[in-house]
Amino acid sequence: MASLKRSLDRDPLAASISSKVYVRSTKSGKVQKIVREVYLRRDIPCSSKLCQSCLQAAPRDAAGRPIPFVLSDKPAGTSKFPQGHYLVPDTNAFLNAMDLFEQASAFYDVVVLQVVLEEVRNRSLPLYNRLISLTKSEEKRFYVFFNEFRLETHVARLEGESVNDRNDRAVRKATKWYSEHLARTKAKKVPAVVMLSNDRDNLRKARDEGIPACSMSEYVKQLKDGDRLLDLIPESEEGEFTKEKRTGENLYPEYFTMSKMMTGVKAGLLHQGTFNVSPYNYLEGSIRVPAFPKSLIILGRENINRAIDGDLVVVEILPKDQWKSPSTKVIEEDAVTKNENPDAEVGEDFVSEKERKALQEEVKRTQSKTTEGHAQPTAKVVGVIKRNWRQYVGHIDQSSVSQSGQGRKQDTVFVIPMDKKIPKIRLRTRQVAELVGKRILVAIDAWDRGSRHPSGHFIRSLGELETKAAETEALLLEYDVQYRPFPKTVLDCLPQEGHGWKVPESTDDAGWRDRADLRDLLICSIDPIGCQDIDDALHSRPLPNGNVEVGVHIADVSHFVKPNNAMDMEASVRGTTVYLVDKRIDMLPMLLGTDLCSLKPYVERYAFSVIWELSPDADIVNVRFTKSVIKSREAFSYEQAQLRVDDASQQDELTLSIRTLLELSKKLKQRRIEAGALSLSSPEVKVQMESETSDPIDVKTKEHLATMSLVEEFMLLANTTVAAKIYDAFPQTAILRRHGAPPKTNFDELANQLKVKKGMELSIESSRALADSLDTCVDPKEPFFNTLIRIMATRCMMAAEYFCSGTQAYDDFRHYGLASEIYTHFTSPIRRYADLVAHRQLAAAIEYEPVHPSVRSRGRLEAVCKNINVRHRNAQLAGRASIAYYVGQSLRGKATEEDGFVIKIFSNGFVVLVPRFGIESLIRLRDIAEPEPEATFDAENYVLTTAGSREVRVELFQKVRVKVTDQKDEATGKRGVKMELIRTL
Amino acid sequence: MPLDTSAYNLALLRVDGRRWNELRRIHAQIRTQPAADGSSYLEMGHTKVMCVVTGPSESGARRVGTTGGAAAGALGSGGGGSRDGDAEVVVSVVLAGFSSVDRKRRGRNDKGILELQSTISSALSSSLHTHLYPRSTISISLHVLSQDGSLLAALLNAATLACIDAGIAMTDYVAACTAGSTSTYAANDEKADPLLDMNHQEEQELPGLTVATLGQSDRVIVLVCESRVQVSRLEGMLAVGVDGCKQVRDIMDKVVREKGRRMLEEGAIEKGVGLEDMDLD
Ligand SMILES: [Zn+2]
Repeated sequence: MASLKRSLDRDPLAASISSKVYVRSTKSGKVQKIVREVYLRRDIPCSSKLCQSCLQAAPRDAAGRPIPFVLSDKPAGTSKFPQGHYLVPDTNAFLNAMDLFEQASAFYDVVVLQVVLEEVRNRSLPLYNRLISLTKSEEKRFYVFFNEFRLETHVARLEGESVNDRNDRAVRKATKWYSEHLARTKAKKVPAVVMLSNDRDNLRKARDEGIPACSMSEYVKQLKDGDRLLDLIPESEEGEFTKEKRTGENLYPEYFTMSKMMTGVKAGLLHQGTFNVSPYNYLEGSIRVPAFPKSLIILGRENINRAIDGDLVVVEILPKDQWKSPSTKVIEEDAVTKNENPDAEVGEDFVSEKERKALQEEVKRTQSKTTEGHAQPTAKVVGVIKRNWRQYVGHIDQSSVSQSGQGRKQDTVFVIPMDKKIPKIRLRTRQVAELVGKRILVAIDAWDRGSRHPSGHFIRSLGELETKAAETEALLLEYDVQYRPFPKTVLDCLPQEGHGWKVPESTDDAGWRDRADLRDLLICSIDPIGCQDIDDALHSRPLPNGNVEVGVHIADVSHFVKPNNAMDMEASVRGTTVYLVDKRIDMLPMLLGTDLCSLKPYVERYAFSVIWELSPDADIVNVRFTKSVIKSREAFSYEQAQLRVDDASQQDELTLSIRTLLELSKKLKQRRIEAGALSLSSPEVKVQMESETSDPIDVKTKEHLATMSLVEEFMLLANTTVAAKIYDAFPQTAILRRHGAPPKTNFDELANQLKVKKGMELSIESSRALADSLDTCVDPKEPFFNTLIRIMATRCMMAAEYFCSGTQAYDDFRHYGLASEIYTHFTSPIRRYADLVAHRQLAAAIEYEPVHPSVRSRGRLEAVCKNINVRHRNAQLAGRASIAYYVGQSLRGKATEEDGFVIKIFSNGFVVLVPRFGIESLIRLRDIAEPEPEATFDAENYVLTTAGSREVRVELFQKVRVKVTDQKDEATGKRGVKMELIRTL
Repeated sequence: MPLDTSAYNLALLRVDGRRWNELRRIHAQIRTQPAADGSSYLEMGHTKVMCVVTGPSESGARRVGTTGGAAAGALGSGGGGSRDGDAEVVVSVVLAGFSSVDRKRRGRNDKGILELQSTISSALSSSLHTHLYPRSTISISLHVLSQDGSLLAALLNAATLACIDAGIAMTDYVAACTAGSTSTYAANDEKADPLLDMNHQEEQELPGLTVATLGQSDRVIVLVCESRVQVSRLEGMLAVGVDGCKQVRDIMDKVVREKGRRMLEEGAIEKGVGLEDMDLD
């Protein structure tokens, strides 16, 4: 009988084939066993320039090009390895101290083992990406050695051996192989191959086997600027060594295991969501989960259990008798935990007496209340699925610095992050003296059960607090804005002619292919004063049949930015241009944004045009899309355009066409409002700068002009028209923008406040109903009241988002705020990446150019949307933060009296919005008078009445007179606005 | 989990440690079921298939054994050689439930399976001398024991070997393998290397095609490409694939000759049953 059975021994290849078995669990909880083949080989080079034998056998790609060797033949030495050395770090070295490896002063010639790279990837994708970019950087000389595929360094897992032990062994084996391999090169000075690890056991074993090995700190101490670098070593590493000494006193409950959490979530016993901290109370967080209509409240340090704003956590619902209404009290971390000693953590009570007292009052109040209806479910955090830690900007808490010995010994201090939602971070540093009073960048490393505060490490200093440079960089870092200059590879993508680029004169030129010649049309642009990146221009002209031709012409950015080149990649990462008060961080290089693409007046430019035939009632008769060449006749500011329209003596053709556009835009707007479009509001102000010094001199609220509506209406019309067209052409992959209807519960509080305080009804069944009821919220005595309600309503809305059409059902495409069935962004390709993608899709849809794969790959588009949604939001926040900063600056040294409105009320303070500056600020009871007055808080009616040292009665929506000054906020180190209550009105 | 295919450019190594132009290990046996007319077993890496050939037999007895249902499916999809008077090549493919990671059962009328059957049937019909066996049926039954990419190629190779074992006259070996490209379609990387013989992970992440040639010649008789790839990369992929087919053919040829030599030694076959011209070194 023939048999399929065979012994592998006879197979000559058997020695070089191995297999790996993995077990993975899928999203649905199934466990899968995966078997992978591994082919072992001897031709994987060591990549050292010292080694001739590897060089000869270097692998080649299909074109016959060999891979260049990476590791230097003269690597740097340290005090312990004067002959030079290569580093072989283990996984934890990278996970804990990636910042160190990115230093320019040290950490060159590093061998990244495959086993380490795989583990880093499994543990943290961002760190993996940083590591990959290190391996691509030519200066740093990081080489990925595929130890698992090299016959001599391949390690099979032994029976009973843990995966970690096996991986550690693989690292040691590879290190040893490198040493022996290099010794054979007969170089004069053979570099040492040093293993870097923080695992004591691994270090001990390495030394037993005669492998040179160092812990991170041992190694860094051998370097020249060791002291400075030592600070960059994360806290947890030292913890690794001290942990055993520490007594088992744990302040926080232990996290559940991942499988326990997963099972719990699946069974509906536990809930998963993103943890958000209340901006007014650092001991209160909330989390939205699908199972409950209202968000769950997480109250107190123990329940929050080391979760930090933005973390993806799993929570357990607390028993019903512990449900509470959301806090009505302001609790600020700096006030409560002031003067805590960062060194002596162990032994102290976990929840400090002060914190306990603050919370107790809360509980008393809510429990005495009989109104069950207000109670919201509460929960406690039982585990963290994914940390959302990033790098944080902050400053050292002066009060935590010990006054004794200013030597170079290591001190422990607290860093107070700029973002109030982030708890203070314990930091150990040897350079306290230099860092006090500076803006610094830190990272959180860990938060273990035994430590009340998270611990972190110092990354770098941004400069003196309150200097413009440091504060601007801080702001950019906090909102993750990519502000570095464009790299050379990006600039290389620009047209070689530079500013001398022109639309080709001959219409036979390839650039003219399929372009309409619209140079004869009276086109003009209308933008804010000083606008340099002109995205859009318009024209209108009467048609013989009584209709009107209207054209919207958008800068043809996609002509200059080709898919997938370095410039496109950079723009897709940046996602949007960020506008700060005194600075613009461009998405595209200046040459394009403010010159070649910008639809400047009097010169010919490429454009992408949408041209409608509109009836006198502004109905669309037909539309066409075309690439074009235009010549703008004038670049107006809104003000100039307005003046021209209003001046009856102006009867030239251009002015007449603007008047036509204005008439049509009013009809379009009317139609949108009838469909239920919302007119929302956010406090908008403009900071006027002294041009010489660029110091702010005044703040003005933005004026609204009819010409602004004009431009807006036609841009909206262009966006919706294009959205329908690209969706028609690419039903699965069109890039669109949607705005979800807000959940009803978002408006509960505002509706109740309006009902109680003003007897007004807010109906939210549809956007139309909401728009109508907002119109009725008018206080005849107070013209600003309606705007105030609109500002507050805006905050109850969902955020609009970009998406790829295949990911949503058609009904969910709706843009709630604009009451439009379908919408996209097309009109600002110079400053938004989404618009650039829409341009490419439209160009393909009208068969101007073939479809580029990247604009119809759904996976790619989804990734693009995800990124630009985040970037878009961050850009808005950064812009607002910048205005707030400059408003503070403009008030510097001045005190003004202003009118304000109470928009939020607590049992120990209230928030006032001052429309003139578009800012809001908290006024605490203790700010009202000294000593802090007694107060009674009527939560039902939103009234706070004080007695004793000062008697006032403050209620919601009330108009108040406040003194506005600037003040340095001790907590965040930010200069900001401080308000004092003068009187109620 | 190991790295994904994007790590190729770090050291020109694929996810399983191969270079761009290397086949996986191929192991093959013929005459694994002596009771059958022809049989084979073939492994390409972890893709493992078994093949049994019955026939040529008279058409009346077409629906033999348990493979009838699937055979009907192959007929429906226009199995090759059904021209009047020529033998009909009926193929059935059964994927064992345990052959893939997700252990999903696939029904006999699964579109993917029907397409595999029809492709194999027409490919073999072009090499088998079906006109020598009029009004008869050659029934090829394939069982997939384990899947790790290049499934169609492995099935074609196993079927060829089993047909040789069954002694059915044919022009030459039908040798098949897959070729891919090292970066995705969306990456639009002009410098992407072609890849030979893709495993499952590579098939999931990268564009690829299956190609089969007739023996040593450059005659391509199967070309299946179900993924999106730039035309500019296709030429390189095809060249690598055709080259791979030649390597596969040599490996299969060695297996057949080795088996033949052993059978002669063991006296399983008398010399002179049409084998006298066979070069047995
Ligand atoms: Zn070497």
